[in-house]
Amino acid sequence: MDFTLTSDQSALTSAIDRLATHFEAMPTDFYGFTLAGTQLEKELTDGEYFDIAGIPDLGPLTATMAVERLAWLPCTAEIALSMLVRPHLATELPRPFAVIENGRPGRFVATAKTLLIINGDDIGVAHPSVDAVEAVDSLYAYPMGTFTGNASVTTLSGSDAANVRKWLRIALAAEISGLLHAAIASTVEHLSIRRQFGRSLGTFQALRHRMAECTVLAGGVRWLVLKAASTEDEGDAALAALHAQESATRIVYDLHQMLGAMGMTLEHPLHLWTYRIKALLSELGGRGGQAAAVAALCFNSEAA
Amino acid sequence: MDFKWDSEQQSFRATVRAFLSEHLPADWEALAHGPGSAAQSTFSTKFCGALATAGLLVPHWPQHWGGRDADPWMAFILAEEMWAAGEPRGGQYMNVNWIGPTLMRFGSEEQQARYIPPMARGETIWCQGFSEPEAGSDLASLRTRAERNNGSGYRINGQKIWTSYAGVADTCFLLARTSVGKNGISIFLVPMDTPGITVRQIPSIIGEGDIHEVFFDNVEVPKTAILGAEGQAWEIVRTSLSLERVGIPRFALAARMLDRAVATLKKSGRFNGGAIEQAARAKAACEATRLYSYSIIDQRKRGLPPGPEASAARFATVTAERLVGEFVVEQLPDALAGGDPLLLAHHQRAIVAGIASGAAEIQLNLIATELLRMPREPR
Ligand SMILES: Cc1cc2nc3c(=O)[nH]c(=O)nc-3n(C[C@H](O)[C@H](O)[C@H](O)COP(=O)(O)OP(=O)(O)OC[C@H]3O[C@@H](n4cnc5c(N)ncnc54)[C@H](O)[C@@H]3O)c2cc1C
Repeated sequence: MDFTLTSDQSALTSAIDRLATHFEAMPTDFYGFTLAGTQLEKELTDGEYFDIAGIPDLGPLTATMAVERLAWLPCTAEIALSMLVRPHLATELPRPFAVIENGRPGRFVATAKTLLIINGDDIGVAHPSVDAVEAVDSLYAYPMGTFTGNASVTTLSGSDAANVRKWLRIALAAEISGLLHAAIASTVEHLSIRRQFGRSLGTFQALRHRMAECTVLAGGVRWLVLKAASTEDEGDAALAALHAQESATRIVYDLHQMLGAMGMTLEHPLHLWTYRIKALLSELGGRGGQAAAVAALCFNSEAA
Repeated sequence: MDFKWDSEQQSFRATVRAFLSEHLPADWEALAHGPGSAAQSTFSTKFCGALATAGLLVPHWPQHWGGRDADPWMAFILAEEMWAAGEPRGGQYMNVNWIGPTLMRFGSEEQQARYIPPMARGETIWCQGFSEPEAGSDLASLRTRAERNNGSGYRINGQKIWTSYAGVADTCFLLARTSVGKNGISIFLVPMDTPGITVRQIPSIIGEGDIHEVFFDNVEVPKTAILGAEGQAWEIVRTSLSLERVGIPRFALAARMLDRAVATLKKSGRFNGGAIEQAARAKAACEATRLYSYSIIDQRKRGLPPGPEASAARFATVTAERLVGEFVVEQLPDALAGGDPLLLAHHQRAIVAGIASGAAEIQLNLIATELLRMPREPR
C-alpha cells in the first residue's frame, strides 16, 4: 500500500495537466449543448496519449488518472474507451470507440470506427460504415449517435466480454470522477462569488454542508476507481462504477440546485459536466446493473 | 501508486489474525456487547497483557517505550483487525493510539515514567474527560475549573459527561479551565481514585458501561498533574485528536458485519431484490471509506501533517456505518433481537459514529472551509 506516484506516473500526469490547462484557459464562448474537443482529440493523438495504458511503466492506472483529469475540461473527446478499453481487446482496433447498449443511442457513435455492441450478457465488436451510424440531437453534452445495425458483428467470448465489461466499468467511473470534480469546483466558485442577503452564498451552512457531502462522495469515487485500475479486479470495478453512478445522481441534483436559475443556462458551463454525467448514469445497466455485479462478485467470503 | 500489501504487511496481518483466533474465547462475541462493562474490561486487561507479551500491543511506539518503531501501516493493520473482531482491547485502544504518544511528546519525565510503562504492558485503562453538559461540539466553552490551591497544586471542580470507560478507568485525561478563553484550558492527568471524584453510569442503547457522568468536587491534585504548560490544552489536544480521528477503523467492522449479514441472508434464501441493491451500496461505501482512511495513513507514513482529508475520511465513515446499520435493520432484523451478538454490538457502536469524538456536522464545516476553501460562516 503506497499512494505516492512513481516518477513515470508523475511525469505523465504533469504532461496531461499541462495539456489540459491549456484547454481550460481557452474561452468557452459557447451556447450549444455539446462542446466537441476536435483540437484536444488531435493533440492527444499526436502525443500518443491514447496508448498510455500499454506502456509498462505507466499502465492502466496512469491512463485512468489521465481520463479523470481530461474529464475536467469543458470540451470533450472520445478518451475513456480508447485509453482504457481498447488496450484490453485481443487485436488492435481503430478508434474512436463507442458503445451501443441494447440498441440505445450512445456517445460518439456517429464518428466511431469501432463499436462495442452490448446485448444483454453478450458483447460484440463492429466497424460501422459511415452510413450505418447517424448523429442525433440530445441534451447530453456529448455528441450522441445511433447505429442503424448494418455491420457485421463479431461476438466476444465469455471471458473476453467479462474483461471488456470490467474495463468499461472502470472507464465509466473514471470519467464520472473527473466530471464530478469539475462540476463541484465550478459550483464552489459560484457559491463564493454570488451574494444574497448581504453575504456570499458559500457562508450559508445549509449549502456548505451539502457541498462538503458532495465532495466526500466524489473523493470516494476517485479512490475506488484508482484502486480498480490498479488491482484490475472485476469486483473492484463494479464497486467503483456503482459508487460513481450512485454518488453522481445525488451530486448532480445538489449542484444544479445551488446555482439557482444560472444553472439552467447554456451560458454557465455546469451543464457540460452534469449532462455528461447524466448520459453516464444509465450506462452498463445503471445502478441496478452495478449492484447486481457487486452482489455476484464481492460477497463470496464465507469467512465473515 | 500501489494498492497491494507488501509481504511484511501481509505476514503482520496474518500474525495478528492468528493471535486473535488463539486468544479470543468462544463467548467473545457475546462479551463484545458492552465496551466498558466490568466483564469486558476484565477480559480486555488480560487480552492486552497477552498482546503486549506478543509484541502486538504498541508495535508502532518507539523502542524506548516498549515498541519497535513499526510504521503507521502496521499500527493501522493492527487497529483494523482489532476493530473488525469487535475491539477486544476495550478502552485501551485510546492508550495505544493517542494517550501514550501524547504523553511521549508533551509529558514530563516523571509523568512518562509513571504512566507509559503500564500502558505498554496493557495494565491500565484511561478515560477522556473532555465533554461537559454545556460543552459538546463547542468544547472550548467548557467550565470545569482548576484553581491554584496555596501553591502546592490545583483544586478541581466541575462535571464531565459522556465519559467512556470512566467506570473502570484508572486515570483521567482531563480538560479543565485555568483561566478564560480557548487558551485558558489545561490538561490534568488525574487518578480516578482521587477523593472527590464520583462516577455515575448513564443507561443507554449503546451498551453496558459505555457512557458516564463524572463529578469533580474539590478534587486536589499536585502541580505535577498538569500536562505541558497551563493553557496549552488546545494545542496539545489538536495534535492528539488528529491521531484519534482516523484511529478507529470503523469501516473494518462495518464491512465484516455486512459480509456476515449477506452470508446469513444467502443461507436462508433472503438475498435478493432490494437486499442486493442495499448491500451493494453499503459495500461500496465501506470500501470507499477504507481507501480514504488508507490515504490518511499514507500521508502519515510520508511525514505529512494531518490535513482536512481526515475530516472527509471521518464523514465517509459515518455514511458507511449508517448504510450497514440500516441494511441489517431492514433486511436482517432478527440480528438485533437475539440473533447475532456481534451484529448487535456493531449496531450499537455504529449509531454513535456521527457523534462520538466530534459530531459529523462539525466535520462538514471543516471540509467546506479547509478542503473546498469556501468562505467561512459568520460567527
Ligand atoms: C458513545 C459516546 C462516547 C463518548 N465518549 C466520550 C468520552 O470518552 N469523552 C468525552 O469527553 N466525550 C465523549 N463523548 C462526547 C462526544 O464527544 C460529544 O457527544 C460530541 O462532541 C458532540 O457533543 P454533544 O453530544 O454535546 O452534541 P451537541 O454539540 O449538542 O450537538 C448536537 C447536534 O448539533 C450539531 N451542531 C453542534 N454545533 C453545530 C454547529 N456549529 N453547526 C452545525 N451543527 C452543529 C451537532 O453536529 C449535532 O448534530 C462521547 C459520545 C458518545 C456518543
